[in-house]
Amino acid sequence: MKLVIARAMMALAAHGLGGARRPWGMAMLAEFDAAADAGQPLRFAAGCLIAAIRELPRQEEGRFALASYALALGVMLPMASVQLGAALFGLPYLFPGAGDLPGALLEGSAHEGLIRSVYQAASPAIIMLLLTLAVGHFCIAWSMIERDWDRVRRLGTLELAGSVTLILFMAVLFLDSSRIAVQTAVLVVELATLRIIVERHAQLFPAAAPAEHPG
Amino acid sequence: MLAVLERLAAEPQQWRHGYDLMKETGLFSGTLYPLLMRMTDQGLVEAEWREPAQPGRPARHAYRLTTAGLALARDIAANAASDAGKAALT
Repeated sequence: MKLVIARAMMALAAHGLGGARRPWGMAMLAEFDAAADAGQPLRFAAGCLIAAIRELPRQEEGRFALASYALALGVMLPMASVQLGAALFGLPYLFPGAGDLPGALLEGSAHEGLIRSVYQAASPAIIMLLLTLAVGHFCIAWSMIERDWDRVRRLGTLELAGSVTLILFMAVLFLDSSRIAVQTAVLVVELATLRIIVERHAQLFPAAAPAEHPG
Repeated sequence: MLAVLERLAAEPQQWRHGYDLMKETGLFSGTLYPLLMRMTDQGLVEAEWREPAQPGRPARHAYRLTTAGLALARDIAANAASDAGKAALT
């Protein structure tokens, strides 16, 4: 068991040392057998992992990896959770008024009879759209951790299309346009951040950037 | 860094493996490897992959001082000896 944990720590350390430091990750891995033979696999692996973590902010690639992890964990996953919550529990940012969906239907007001059927017809589509956007955010976060920037870009484009559709739905249906402003602001910040980080990746690793297709 | 310089300078032509250096200097792997990285970046240490002594094992990274590293190690040793001499006289 100790050996399994130590090997997992070594794999993490070697994975953390990317780019110009990759040979050092390989060097640590190659040295692990000697440490394990001497009965110190955990101690050696813990040291290598600490060295890899300390090395991350010193390298351009490491700083980029830290920034992308922070974006994935600090922006994409929370956004996915908010959209999942909005779809499943009717969080207030989606619907106008204080009463979630019943509030949006303006229950008891003069408008209720006019708009209830429209909201009822539109709600399943909005909920499906929100669930799709939430899953999309989870996929973007996962692709960022996996460093698959081409997939991040493609998913970002799909998220943009889905979000614009949601905004159009909200603009058509809702009386309170401040909710549209919130959704639009979130979309703009998020996609701008994604674009910056994808472009930064292309600058740092030009060989890994997807080829431009003519036409 | 002094401990690593001293160990590598003791047998300058000898290639040393990371784990052996850890044992000889008493340094933790989390201290030794960043030091070796910096020293290699600064041209004080050279590293190369060496075939393993035991068959079936992976090639291992080995290290030794460059000419600049050896010169620095000798300077430091000479300064330390000079300081010790002065201290003994006073």
